[in-house]
Amino acid sequence: MASANSTYGQKETSDQNFDYMFKILIIGNSSVGKTSFLFRYADDSFTPTFVSTVGIDFKVKTIYRSDKRIKLQIWDTAGQERYRTITTAYYRGAMGFILMYDITNEDSFNAVQDWSTQIKTYSWDNAQVLLVGNKCDMEDERVVASQRGQQLSDQLGFEFFETSAKDNINVKQTFERLVDIICERMSESLDNNDPTITGAKQGPQLNEQPQRSHQDCAC
Amino acid sequence: MAADSDTESEVFEITDFTTASDWERFVSRVEEVLNEWKLIGNSEEKRLSEKSEFTSGTWEENFEEINFADFKFEITYHFLKQEHVKSNKKEELEEDAVPLAVQNLLSENNDFPPRAHCLVRWYGVQEFVVISPGSNCEAIISESKCNLLLSSISIALSNSGCQVPVFVQIQHKWRRMYAGECLGPGLRTDFEMVHLRKVPSQYNHLSGLLDVFKSKISCTISPVPPVSIAIRFTYILQDWQQYSWPQQPPDFDTPLGGEVGGVEFGKLPFGACEEPISELHLATTWPRLTEGLVVDNDVYSDLDPLQAPLWTVRVRTTENPQCLLGDVLSEFFKLCCIKETAEEILGRGMAEDEGKENSDISSALSKLTEPSATVPIHKLSVSNMVHSARKHIRRQRHMDESPLNAGILNTILLYLFPDAAVEKPSEYTKTKSEQSNTPGKTEQDKNSDNLFSQLKSAPSDSLTYRLALCLSLVNYNYGGLRAVAHVWQEFVLELRYRWENNYLIFGLAGGSPDLRCCLLHQKLQMLNCCIERKRARDDARKVLDEGKERAHRESGSSAAAVTSTKEVSPGKSWDSWSDSEEEFFECLSDQGDMDAPQTEEEKTGSKRKAEGRLHQYNSMNLLNSSEPLYVPVTQEPAPMTEDLLEEQSEVLAKLGTSAEGTHLRARMQSACLLSDMESFKAANPGCILDDFVRWYSPRDYVEEEVVDDTGSLVMKGHLSARMKIPGNMWVEAWETARVTPARRQKRLFDDTKEAERVLHYMAMQKPADVTLHLLPCLIHGTILKLKEEEATENIPSVQISLQQVVSQASRLMQTPARDYKRLEEFINRLIAMETVITQARSLKAKFSICDKAENREDLEIFVRSLLEEPEVLVIGAGQGPAGSIIHRMFVSAQRAAVLAPLDEDLNQERQSTESSRVPDFPSPAGREILLRTCVPRPAPYSKALPQRLFCVLLKDEFRLAGAFSSDTCFF
Repeated sequence: MASANSTYGQKETSDQNFDYMFKILIIGNSSVGKTSFLFRYADDSFTPTFVSTVGIDFKVKTIYRSDKRIKLQIWDTAGQERYRTITTAYYRGAMGFILMYDITNEDSFNAVQDWSTQIKTYSWDNAQVLLVGNKCDMEDERVVASQRGQQLSDQLGFEFFETSAKDNINVKQTFERLVDIICERMSESLDNNDPTITGAKQGPQLNEQPQRSHQDCAC
Repeated sequence: MAADSDTESEVFEITDFTTASDWERFVSRVEEVLNEWKLIGNSEEKRLSEKSEFTSGTWEENFEEINFADFKFEITYHFLKQEHVKSNKKEELEEDAVPLAVQNLLSENNDFPPRAHCLVRWYGVQEFVVISPGSNCEAIISESKCNLLLSSISIALSNSGCQVPVFVQIQHKWRRMYAGECLGPGLRTDFEMVHLRKVPSQYNHLSGLLDVFKSKISCTISPVPPVSIAIRFTYILQDWQQYSWPQQPPDFDTPLGGEVGGVEFGKLPFGACEEPISELHLATTWPRLTEGLVVDNDVYSDLDPLQAPLWTVRVRTTENPQCLLGDVLSEFFKLCCIKETAEEILGRGMAEDEGKENSDISSALSKLTEPSATVPIHKLSVSNMVHSARKHIRRQRHMDESPLNAGILNTILLYLFPDAAVEKPSEYTKTKSEQSNTPGKTEQDKNSDNLFSQLKSAPSDSLTYRLALCLSLVNYNYGGLRAVAHVWQEFVLELRYRWENNYLIFGLAGGSPDLRCCLLHQKLQMLNCCIERKRARDDARKVLDEGKERAHRESGSSAAAVTSTKEVSPGKSWDSWSDSEEEFFECLSDQGDMDAPQTEEEKTGSKRKAEGRLHQYNSMNLLNSSEPLYVPVTQEPAPMTEDLLEEQSEVLAKLGTSAEGTHLRARMQSACLLSDMESFKAANPGCILDDFVRWYSPRDYVEEEVVDDTGSLVMKGHLSARMKIPGNMWVEAWETARVTPARRQKRLFDDTKEAERVLHYMAMQKPADVTLHLLPCLIHGTILKLKEEEATENIPSVQISLQQVVSQASRLMQTPARDYKRLEEFINRLIAMETVITQARSLKAKFSICDKAENREDLEIFVRSLLEEPEVLVIGAGQGPAGSIIHRMFVSAQRAAVLAPLDEDLNQERQSTESSRVPDFPSPAGREILLRTCVPRPAPYSKALPQRLFCVLLKDEFRLAGAFSSDTCFF
């Protein structure tokens, strides 16, 4: 948790070879394909049936971004209502969220608003969220039009992807986009950090007295 | 004196022109640098500075190091940054235009700039180059060295054609002696200087200085062109006697002197302990006088400050005035670095003693309260009294050793635990008031809601927050570190007492720990969770025992038991059916309890024994029977604090990403699933996994329309493919799950163990750890206090600063590792804000004395600009509203100075006579006289060129800075 918090996940465990570690959470209703999505990305494999996740599970993938090794620790969560309290506890350390629904399931889409509220309540202020409509290979059974997903994501201020873990559509792109957003946010926050580092050098200076420089002749 | 330096004497010892000497190299290096900075020729981009541009514009500088042999010089180019004015200047540009610096000599636009380099002040130049000895090098003192330097400049200037004046710093640094020159087409200006410790009496006035000026320019034509004069006198006011700032004397003693409530502990002090404004400088200026218009000689002066056409004021603030809020904060922060443990600080004997005594008494107490079923409820308040009595005894015993006396300690504890103050008739009312309290407060807290999560502190009404304020004040006012350690020990004791006696800790939001708050707050919330569960368990057992008694008599005891349960904990319910066993557990549920009695009725009617039903689920029936499907009462998942969570996720992460790892992880986390399955089985006799999945994970139960044997459409359901995977977690768990209602299951959350863990953790904290835990809360409090205080002052700079500070703080606080250096900087920033607010207050008090409505607004603007600008013009000079106040200040300070030893009465009687003798103003602390003219030099037929002499007369300094131009055409 807090380990990932530490100054934006800069390396703090010496046992791993990476420059940054990003913690990412995949959330969404039960059986929208969170586990499949993760397996597709981490192992590039697909099985039509994964055992329903109990509690929380994770996978690791290391990627490169501008010569930096970024270790992604991706936590896969159980979608069942009953697990909400357990999984939301993990929200706080996460730097990115993939909020997933199933385009063939109206309920899972309707729950997105709810999940997003959960993120706002329990996560870090600057956690980044992507909205993902999964199972876009099952066009025949689609009940959530692509536009609706887009609309909702605009409304929530998230970026949006339709994906298929089965046909490997947009899976990698989703993760990479999320990493990019986190990186952007990180450098932004580092830039903003400068006034913190330099103290009062920016903004109006309170200590600054109407003092003349050394030529002051007390007159 | 270097002022008389004769730069014409270009006598060097140059023997060999073919080998570049150190000196030659130096000169060419100077030229190089001038070239690099593009200071060659008359640049068309520059224009003469406008009115007061010296103050409003930005000054910049270029810097380079150059060597003369191994002697280091610093060469710096200072210039006023100007927007590029690309006008059609080219045409106007004359071949032999006078260099900018020489034009500057006569310009009246920027006399007496409030903030500028001394050379700017003396010579009015808007760009110049200074060569001064490097920081570690000795000063240029000998005359020959000075001359050598000056001639180097001359050569460099004439070689390069640079028209920017170049100065060299000579003599000791503190004397700020410069000599320099400026070369233009057909003219040169020499900058010379005289610096004396004392003002020679013949030059102690305008007329004497005019004589110097005139003799220096030795003008031979007649009539002599008039000399224009600008004069500025500065008066300093240091005595604020009658205009003191409005800070009430800080009440160091009051909060605990009498029976003042603990509320005082909730307030952070604010304000300066000393006058934050140290001096007021009044500059009276006569910007344009002509010779002969004023008389100022050794016997008479026309220069009455009251009559001066221009008044400007600046204030000097006290450096680092002692401010209460800042002191409290920084003193508290200092505790973070202390290594000792509480025992070491308080002395071993005492700590041990306390500990032993505590364990004795508390175990005795818990013996009293443990078999609570037999203790009638109303007796619980007795133990409360015992508790406070015990504290009293102990305190009296340690009075002389402990850093805090009993009175103060009591006040502190009452402030921290206000619920202990009121004698409650029974425990129940307390519970109720607490429950009704918490939501109300959280509503009110919504504004600062954001702030606490940003700072990772705690809500501003929480115990944690109060503890932070309290400890900071204890540290500041009541005995420092030892007292803090003492209070912390008492605090932990109180927590243990509450845990052992089932009293909820007051002032914490219910529910599981809020991960947005600081760890200490989470721990407290955790402890509260434990207490709540333990209490519920104890109460249930109690009720049950009562119920059992009755059950012997009547069989319908269930209803009675349930109602009494409800009484104990409103809003909570549980099944109270049990034959109490060793591993007895009653689980709470969040659901409303309305269904519970019904459930009981139905259940008694049903043939099979179902247990732990909460309510029916969507009017579904079990698949294999006609029984309705019930949602069981389940165990709540264990509450977690962030450190536990981290621990757990680390354990989970350590299992790796392999398939086995995944399986193990699932297994580790299956306790909750298993418990739910067991509860479900107990509530729904005859159920199958499909039933469970329909409730627990509805999407894993697929319903399809199927044509059955008879050919009609039937809905048929089955488990989803993933639930059918053989040997999967869910099936496995279902098979192992026994039929056990939640209350008889092994506890998922061991409140006893958790509570002990928290208490142990608390007890192990060193004062420094506690301080670190609470620092975010105190910073939170400080920011709130600053906001509150600023609200009445309306100071824009503080407003902006406050916003920045919040985001800065949130960045500092969100990272678990504390960066002390940055924290210190940050705290200094908070202190600076407090200082500014106190300065504003002080000035307001001084200037808003006359409450004439018409002036008020002007005065407020005036006061605000005093803080924000280096120098403020007094509108109407001595006659304006602000001017008359300043005048009065000086008058009263003057009188006070003269009449100090006299009594008030005498003072009034004599006032009329005295006032005529005492001048309104003290003698000026500084006098600046600027003389300017334009005369031909060195011969009467030369071009008329600007001449300038700037005189500074201070108590212990006399300086003449002259710039004299001469025509070089025929010389």
